[in-house]
Amino acid sequence: MKRLHRVLIAIVGVIWISGCVSHPQTPDEFRKAVPSAFSAKVETFEVDRPFNQVANTFQKMGPNCLSKTIKTTSQTRTSYQVIVTTYRPTVLVTPKKAELHVQFHHDQGVIGVGKEPEGGYYLLVADASPVNQTKTRIDLYRPSMGHGVLIQAVKNWATGDNVGCPDLTK
Amino acid sequence: MNQHFARTSIILASLWTAVFLAGCSGQKPYQNTPDNNLHVRTTADSGSWFSSVHAAVDIHRVTIDCRTEYEGTVQLSRPMIDVGIPPNRWSRLVFVFSSSSFLGNRSGSMTYETLLKPRSGYQYQVKVTYQDDMYNVVVRETQPDDSTNREIEHKDLRSCQAKSIERSRVTSNSSPR
Repeated sequence: MKRLHRVLIAIVGVIWISGCVSHPQTPDEFRKAVPSAFSAKVETFEVDRPFNQVANTFQKMGPNCLSKTIKTTSQTRTSYQVIVTTYRPTVLVTPKKAELHVQFHHDQGVIGVGKEPEGGYYLLVADASPVNQTKTRIDLYRPSMGHGVLIQAVKNWATGDNVGCPDLTK
Repeated sequence: MNQHFARTSIILASLWTAVFLAGCSGQKPYQNTPDNNLHVRTTADSGSWFSSVHAAVDIHRVTIDCRTEYEGTVQLSRPMIDVGIPPNRWSRLVFVFSSSSFLGNRSGSMTYETLLKPRSGYQYQVKVTYQDDMYNVVVRETQPDDSTNREIEHKDLRSCQAKSIERSRVTSNSSPR
């Protein structure tokens, strides 16, 4: 099922590119592109946690968990595939907003099409902003298919429940 | 005679292959220091009948100029394992979570690394978890003759600078934190 998701995402990605729509080159472009994209969606929710705690968790967990180069291999009777992907997280914090950007670049096993932003294609952007002293609003710009473990991990970093690193091989 | 020779040849070839592969894997068992100061509690569950996950920790020595020298690997195959890490010097601990799926014949591994400089007489509790496709490593330091402990902040090699390691070493020698 996960493999099917990956194939679908790859197909959608190719359609997105071949349809003369360029990949978002900045986080702002990504935020604007996601609501109308077939393979992505915006999710908004509030967490019962002060903004500074959410920002601290983004700052701590983002680089620790997502600055990774991942190698996965899959093998069938007729094929052997190796995919190497480098993820790059960026966390920006101001008194009013915390942003987590996740980019990825395929080093091996996937042919890139179209102009890739510096640091890799944008995969996810999470914006946290204070609602009041105890609540924080999260705007999550994320894939609608696949990458469930990454999405869940970012949600957990926001809520503070089961805080851990996602297994990016899944 | 010919049969015996063929059988011996096969056994020798198998042994040679095993030795060759063991050497090529690059892994060697870690030699503990006498005082087992690192107590690793591991929970690793893939959450599926059709996949498995295995945890291990590679231990490297960190030199003054922030280079690393591989010292060995401890397989975290039991829930509780004690490890001896040399005190008063930096070590790089690389926790490796290797997962494989039998259905899709897929495999991959994730690593989580942190630097640690154990203090003499102190004990270190490491909680290693892999559950629901999430992993976490928490290191806590317990003072001698005291039950109070504190979480050790994560520090990776990218934050290592020759000066900071040296400064920290000097500070630690003169007055323990």
